[in-house]
Amino acid sequence: MALPDDPEDLSPGAAAERTRLAWQRTAIAFGAVGLVMLREEPAAGALVLAATPLIWALGRYVSSAAPPQQRSRRLLLVTVAVTGVAVVAVVAAFIGHGLTRFR
Amino acid sequence: MGAQHIRRWGGATSSQHGHPDGEPGAPGPAAEPSNEEEPDARFTLANERTFLAWNRTALALVVAGLGIVQLLPPFPGVPWGRHALGVPLIVLGAVVSVAAYVEWRQNQTALRRSAPMPQSVLPRILVVTITGVAALSAVVLLVSAVR
Repeated sequence: MALPDDPEDLSPGAAAERTRLAWQRTAIAFGAVGLVMLREEPAAGALVLAATPLIWALGRYVSSAAPPQQRSRRLLLVTVAVTGVAVVAVVAAFIGHGLTRFR
Repeated sequence: MGAQHIRRWGGATSSQHGHPDGEPGAPGPAAEPSNEEEPDARFTLANERTFLAWNRTALALVVAGLGIVQLLPPFPGVPWGRHALGVPLIVLGAVVSVAAYVEWRQNQTALRRSAPMPQSVLPRILVVTITGVAALSAVVLLVSAVR
């Protein structure tokens, strides 16, 4: 029996599974950032942690054959979330513990 | 056009077509006026994984920058040192994330048109910024040691 031209053809589900795992890694990375933020900025950290299950769910959704238009919008959501985390981090870097100190 | 195409395909000795075995490959998409069609799902998935990998890189940059600013003890004699090193890394994280999305779109379009993949600018951005931050940390350490 000859091997297929593309090794992927041996198990077509592998690509989808790799992608699902990549989404899970991304969600875990998000959670890790949230935990690090929690240490100095509880409010910001909680916000990022709250977004973690969202990324996880997004991954499950996208991998289940979403139409191209929706796929694009969901990936944009990931970029918006990561950029938002960066903005929060810059604010936290300059204000210090502003979010907790003034309470 | 479509009808003609199907008729020609129906002929057993159609030398114009790339299917020598006369396999009934889908004539529909090939007859479409626009030459865009959804790429193989595996290409779409691979493109998506690249996007996700860049976003994890972006998150790692953000967390590294945040760690430098908030967890590191201040450099003696260089009060601005931690911000000078950490903030560029956080900003780079945001840039990488946005660029990853732009490139995901470009790649997806190229796949749909069966065009060559556009070249990525992300490695260059990453190399330039990380080299800059490394040089800056050497400067901060030197200034801190001198004072």
